[in-house]
Amino acid sequence: MIAALLRRRRVLAGPLAVVAVAVVVGSVLFMAGGAAHGQTGQSLLVSTNSSDILAGQTLYDTHCESCHGYEGKGGVTSAPALVSVGAAAADFYLTTGRMPLNNPANQALRHHPYFDRTQIRQLDAYIAALPGITGDGPPGPAIPTVAPLCSSPSGSGGSGGSGNRSGSGSGCVTLSEGESGFALNCAECHQAAGSGGMLSKGNVIPTLRNANITQVAEAMRVGPKPMPVFGPKEISNKEMSAIAHYVEYLHQPASPGGLRISGFGPIAEGFVGIVFGFGILLFAVRMIGTRG
Amino acid sequence: MSTTQERADTQKRFTLAKKGFDEADDRFASSRWFVSVLDKIFPDHWSFMVGEIALDSLILLILTGVYLTFFFIPNSRDVVYAPTAGHVYAPLVGQHMSEAYQSVLNISFNVRFGLLMRQAHHWAALVFLAAVVFHLCRIFFTGAFRKPRETNWIIGLTLWMIVMLEGFTGYSLPDDLLSGTGIRVIYSVLEGIPFVGTWITYDLWGGRYPGTTFITRLFIVHEFIFPALIVGLLSAHLMILWRQKHTDFPGPGKTETNIRGSRVWPQYAMKAGGLAMIVSGVIFALAGLVQINPVWIYGPYTPYTVSTGSTPDWYVAWLDGAVRLWPHWEFRSFGHEIANPFFPGLLIPGVVFTLMYLWPVVDRKIYNDHERHNLLDRPRDKPFRTGVGVAAIVFFADLTLATGDDILSNNLHIPFERILEVLQYGVVIGPVAGFLIAYKACKALQRTDAHPIRHPVGGMIVRAADGSYHTLGEAHAPHAGEDGYVEVEKAEEHAEEHAEGR
Ligand code: HEC
Ligand code: HEC
Ligand code: HEM
Repeated sequence: MIAALLRRRRVLAGPLAVVAVAVVVGSVLFMAGGAAHGQTGQSLLVSTNSSDILAGQTLYDTHCESCHGYEGKGGVTSAPALVSVGAAAADFYLTTGRMPLNNPANQALRHHPYFDRTQIRQLDAYIAALPGITGDGPPGPAIPTVAPLCSSPSGSGGSGGSGNRSGSGSGCVTLSEGESGFALNCAECHQAAGSGGMLSKGNVIPTLRNANITQVAEAMRVGPKPMPVFGPKEISNKEMSAIAHYVEYLHQPASPGGLRISGFGPIAEGFVGIVFGFGILLFAVRMIGTRG
Repeated sequence: MSTTQERADTQKRFTLAKKGFDEADDRFASSRWFVSVLDKIFPDHWSFMVGEIALDSLILLILTGVYLTFFFIPNSRDVVYAPTAGHVYAPLVGQHMSEAYQSVLNISFNVRFGLLMRQAHHWAALVFLAAVVFHLCRIFFTGAFRKPRETNWIIGLTLWMIVMLEGFTGYSLPDDLLSGTGIRVIYSVLEGIPFVGTWITYDLWGGRYPGTTFITRLFIVHEFIFPALIVGLLSAHLMILWRQKHTDFPGPGKTETNIRGSRVWPQYAMKAGGLAMIVSGVIFALAGLVQINPVWIYGPYTPYTVSTGSTPDWYVAWLDGAVRLWPHWEFRSFGHEIANPFFPGLLIPGVVFTLMYLWPVVDRKIYNDHERHNLLDRPRDKPFRTGVGVAAIVFFADLTLATGDDILSNNLHIPFERILEVLQYGVVIGPVAGFLIAYKACKALQRTDAHPIRHPVGGMIVRAADGSYHTLGEAHAPHAGEDGYVEVEKAEEHAEEHAEGR
């Protein structure tokens, strides 16, 4: 009787296959959690070599002056003066391809960098030297150096449980300091997983997936408008380094459980649940039941 | 004592369990009852099995939920994350968090099958609610709530409400950033209740926000009070269904007093059992393949942190959406200012649920129909009701979209303010448009139905070798099979009741 039923309605074969496949595939993928990974930050010193500065000036005159004015003094278009923006700003805007802009009215967004590494070094050098050349304005922030990650997750002291924000004196930082700093200062705009969001008046808050560790540190110090500047008063160098490491960690987090859709939050989960969970079940039910 | 004939019948059909039946029958004279249960007829239409998807996912929810209770610690006591054994989640080491959140980290990283169970629990909740909502829509659009089934409509709505709250309380338990943000919204909605709001919140939270008792209380509600209510109401729901029997779509051989379909044993049991396996297969596949609610990424809740894109699960998103869309109006009554979140958070759902509870009465008035109905309406035959249903769906959809306002504007590159504006107009205009379109569409479909040349359904014309034509299979031919696959149950009992009723 059951055999006849099986043959005719295929009621059992389908479900059993689904269960088998689910169990096998599910458990294999489930066990494959991401591995923790870390990387020490590289320090980028700005060249003070006069030939670099000169080469930077040439590049500036051809590509930037039309908007930012003679010797970065501004006043030509809506583009700001560059005299005291510092190497951090120059490096951030150039390595993220935000500059040169083709239209001063556009929001400067991330693009493939227009210049190569050497040219960027030269432009950085020139802009860092502008306060000296023009003789007015204080020097801007230098390219920040990112402290390395500690080898133990609880910080160098290893005295776990002493709270995370107490500086332990030694130069290294922990991911944990980065996580709480990020949650406190950045998640409000960039979302907890760094996937970006929306600011009013149509400004896009970008995902942090593409920003490397130096760019994250620079972004805090520079504050690419409309993002606020986080100076050393708000965020110490240590915390800045920790946040930069945590953002890099978020690129490949040790976050088990399968395909990561957390960047879009519960709404994306609902979509998957309805379409791939309930949707498949509706289909199954249509196969089992009669229609019309 | 059952008759020998009944006993022989039972034995013939249930040879496998013969001995057991004999023993039971000797003691309880239960054959007659067993046969009546096992012979009960269920209609075969696919849409009737959606309720079963809901039932199966509820069972999965309970099983996985029980597993989680073994390891979850419902306590908001502050601890510092410093695991000494097992997997250590580095980015949180040394941070302050509640014991509840820490126990969820432990479930996810160190408990055997813990993460799989958590994810299965959460996916099952999303699927469960989808099945419940679909089920509700079917009942509405086919008029299955009409006399004599109004009670089950009311029980069903109550179930839906409790199940939404059950999901929300579950979402709030892990005490991560999203949980806390959600609870914060609920807190301000409740606080906004005129006159008594502050008292209520003070009592629920056992003091000032966030307090130290709330997670423990939430846990008792989530794992005892609501589940008990759900199981209780569901039992009533199913017992009433059993007593009143299923509705069915009209069709050849189907009348107000019979039911066509499959017997519980063996056909329906096989189908239902197969479906249960598919449901658990799909839910566990999702649980193994797709990450859900990675609380370690959101981090522990602290009142001063917030993440963009914080939304509740989809099934309560419409409430969050209402809060987001509600304009910043101010109301005063008796010198009190009524806090803004009260209106979208409690008044709108209150009105919506009241309307839904009253719908069977409204429907009776509209169609001036006080008859008992066991055959369903086709949605197109009741354009007004269908229009109202579509309007409600548009209303809920608009509010649900509003939850994702920031995600929408980010991905569509439309300014956030514009999206809000569109959705604010949409929540008023959309339902009206939905009603009109559905109404017109129903009328148009009715006209096609009235056309004399209707498409034959289910027949197939074949050409034989000699060139002649034959029709294979008739439209709506009953599928009589060797196991008596289709049965006609004479519902005498039913007919009697029907006669008595008048
Ligand atoms: C089409 C006009 C245009 C050109 C060409 C252009 N910029 Fe800009 N630049 C702008 C505008 C407008 C802003 C302000 C936009 C913003 O902050 O988002 C800006 C901002 C900057 C900033 C950030 C200033 C601050 O206050 O932090 C730097 C640094 C910069 N530009 C460097 C350059 C360099 C170097 C070049 C040449 C390679 C260049 N720009 C070419 C228009 C231009
Ligand atoms: C008020 C909202 C806001 C906050 C808070 C904020 N950001 Fe931003 N962030 C922005 C916006 C807007 C941009 C895009 C700027 C642009 O268009 O040039 C941005 C850009 C960036 C970028 C460049 C991304 C890329 O790929 O080019 C980085 C890196 C970044 N932010 C890091 C941070 C970090 C780290 C913090 C926390 C310390 C933070 N942001 C806090 C709004 C914010
Ligand atoms: C009736 C339907 C139910 C629904 C819709 C539901 C929904 C949810 C949801 C959405 C969560 C959040 C899970 C997460 O963050 O990953 C949750 C957590 C939880 N549920 Fe349920 N649940 C239900 C029934 C139950 C039952 C019956 C029990 C136990 C008897 C239970 C025990 C738990 C526990 C202990 C948690 C917290 C553990 C954790 O978050 O990992 N649930 N529930």
